[in-house]
Amino acid sequence: MKGQVRYLGRQGQMWLHLKKLLRMFIYQNDWKVLPMSAVIAAVVTFVVAGNLFYTQEGTLTGSFAIVCVCIWNGFFNSIQSVCRERNIVKREHRAGLHMSSYIGAHMIYQLFLCAAQVGILVGILKLANVSIPASGVVFRSGIVELAFTMLLITYASDMCAIMISSIVRTTTMAMTVMPFLLIFQLVFSGGFFQLGGAAQKITTLTIAKWGLNSIIATGRYNELPMVTLWNTLFKFKDMDIEGHKPILAAIKRMEAEGKVSEFIVWSGTYNQNPAYASSVSNMMLCWGVLILMTFLFAAGSVIALELIDRDKR
Amino acid sequence: MYQININYSSIYQAIAFWIMLSIGMILVVKKLGRGDTKLWQYFIPGFRYYRLGSALGIEKDGLVLCILEIVVDVLNYSPYFLSDENVSLILTLFAFAAIVALFIYQLHLILTVRKIFGLSGWWVLVAIFADGLAMIYAGLSKKVQPTEEFFKDEDWQAGTQPVEFEAHGLRHKSGRIPDKGLTVNVRERTVKDFNRKRYLLKDIRLEIPNKSLVLLLGGSGAGKTTLINAITGYEKADADVYLNGTDVYRNYDEVKYRIGFVPQQNLMRMYDTVDHTIKDAADLRLPVSMTHSEKKKKIQEVMEMLGLTAGTDGLVGKKSGGWLRRISIAMELVSDPELFILDEPDSGLDGVIARELFERLRDIADENKIVIAITHTPDRVADLFDKVIVLGRDSGRVGQLCFYGDVDEAKAFFGKDTMEGIVMSINSKDAGGEGRADEFIKKFIEYREKKESGQTEQEAAG
Repeated sequence: MKGQVRYLGRQGQMWLHLKKLLRMFIYQNDWKVLPMSAVIAAVVTFVVAGNLFYTQEGTLTGSFAIVCVCIWNGFFNSIQSVCRERNIVKREHRAGLHMSSYIGAHMIYQLFLCAAQVGILVGILKLANVSIPASGVVFRSGIVELAFTMLLITYASDMCAIMISSIVRTTTMAMTVMPFLLIFQLVFSGGFFQLGGAAQKITTLTIAKWGLNSIIATGRYNELPMVTLWNTLFKFKDMDIEGHKPILAAIKRMEAEGKVSEFIVWSGTYNQNPAYASSVSNMMLCWGVLILMTFLFAAGSVIALELIDRDKR
Repeated sequence: MYQININYSSIYQAIAFWIMLSIGMILVVKKLGRGDTKLWQYFIPGFRYYRLGSALGIEKDGLVLCILEIVVDVLNYSPYFLSDENVSLILTLFAFAAIVALFIYQLHLILTVRKIFGLSGWWVLVAIFADGLAMIYAGLSKKVQPTEEFFKDEDWQAGTQPVEFEAHGLRHKSGRIPDKGLTVNVRERTVKDFNRKRYLLKDIRLEIPNKSLVLLLGGSGAGKTTLINAITGYEKADADVYLNGTDVYRNYDEVKYRIGFVPQQNLMRMYDTVDHTIKDAADLRLPVSMTHSEKKKKIQEVMEMLGLTAGTDGLVGKKSGGWLRRISIAMELVSDPELFILDEPDSGLDGVIARELFERLRDIADENKIVIAITHTPDRVADLFDKVIVLGRDSGRVGQLCFYGDVDEAKAFFGKDTMEGIVMSINSKDAGGEGRADEFIKKFIEYREKKESGQTEQEAAG
């Protein structure tokens, strides 16, 4: 009977499409995102490597830069991947393609791509002699934990871009939307730029916030010294008060007594932030939100593509 | 407590400009003769742009302007009621972006009014700074009148009123559904265009037997692709479509595998190999019960039939136009569809290759299939077709059936020697045709009525 004829199911279709994506990786030059990510990582590492995971200020700046690289990589991997073949997908959908299989294949393919990019980024951080914490908060190895967080950030960004690419109908529109999305992520990361009131609440919706928090937590930010106060004092060392230079005298005394390190660690305790707590529960919260976002973006992509037949000619 | 500082003089000024623009809109619409009695609607924020846009024939722009005006008003005044400076700043930035967009769309509207009334560049300049004043001038001045081209352009109401023909008793005929062939009865295919119902197709009834190669003819905009989408179920119409006894709409998930549709564009990945493209299409479209060797054999047969033999390990994007068309056909044909529809399969192909292609389609039809093809150069292959469907756009700009029958019968019906001559006779005069679509739609209804009643008498006698 015709009604009982079975066709390739969702899983089969997913593997079929995954093989196609792997061929595209070679033939369509999708592999170029790998050297591109290496160049971006090298440039950023060159600038921020010095104080990353060494001082609170350097950790915040460096972690923000790493988050930027991850989000940039994720967005660029897939912002055009669906919209560039939208009409082809529409044809295949009419021929029986399940959108969940199509997005599922992209999820697997992009996971490998993101993992490769994270591998490159970690390699470059090691080459730049960044003092990555030896042990992580959750994992035994600090480098593995850092790589895992970077993978989650890159992958969530990648899925966000897939969703945008599934919603828009042209590559031009995708490339117009992308910078806004990128700026939104970075401005509302909640750590680097001072925000208050309702604007601070918006940060909860960004990949950048949860990514930044978990990288900083791995770097044990709350235990690191803060140099801002020491540097500020140093700037004011020649300040004259009624013929005396009390700040210079205090600096000299601390240097003579070898208490500079103690002072900057002590000043760091006043700059601790509960959002950067190096606790398992905080890490789990950050990772959990990133994973949840990833799946929500994937679900959004499937829903957007299920409506593809409504596209006007 | 947060204090609201309101500058009343600027509010009075804004209201004055706002009322002026509404009055200007009313005057312009009245002059065009497209206004209605609900003039108060021109005083509703945002909605007034939608009304004006509809009257000017730029309904979509009117809708965008409607939304933008509301957004701008809300964003402009919301900071007065918010205490959070950060949020106010963000809203101001969004308001700025919305104002820029509003200005661009207003400019589009101003240029449309200029085109309709043939106004000068000076008027545009005034309209940019004082749109209400410029609109009032356009509406009141006796020197300013709409151009003749404006009244010729009937696009703004196209499809809203299909032409009703007298003899329509047989058009909605619903009797026994044949268990063989394709039965189509499209009562109407409409779209909701903003708040208006627009007809795309009306009253199309066809019964196509198996082993038929059918030509679908019609001028641009007659609804050929719309009809195909309605038949395949891709865009459902108010219709009954049966393929070999199965209701296509009710059993779409099953029937879609029995229908092959080759679109006008070559929709396939250019960076994949020919082999993989066809193999993947087969894997997607063929039942899982088929063995690997059966699938391989099927793919081989189709590729040989379409002359896709050498160089199939190369990339699709490296192949010629003829190859791409044949790959696109192979992708659908590999599933052995009962109904095979091709939208301009010969576009970009020279005469000899196009002829070869249609000869192959003839062979496919002979294998107990139905093949429907749209082509803009039908005469070079007309002898290969069994039937011809002729769609015409009636004077209300709705696609209706002008003819369905044999090729020779069609020539006699239209009094033309060629298929292209038939198309010319039904095309509108604006498109360089004879503009006789209404005549043939009516004639065909009567023709079919006579033919079917004759058949019934014969059946009764037999």
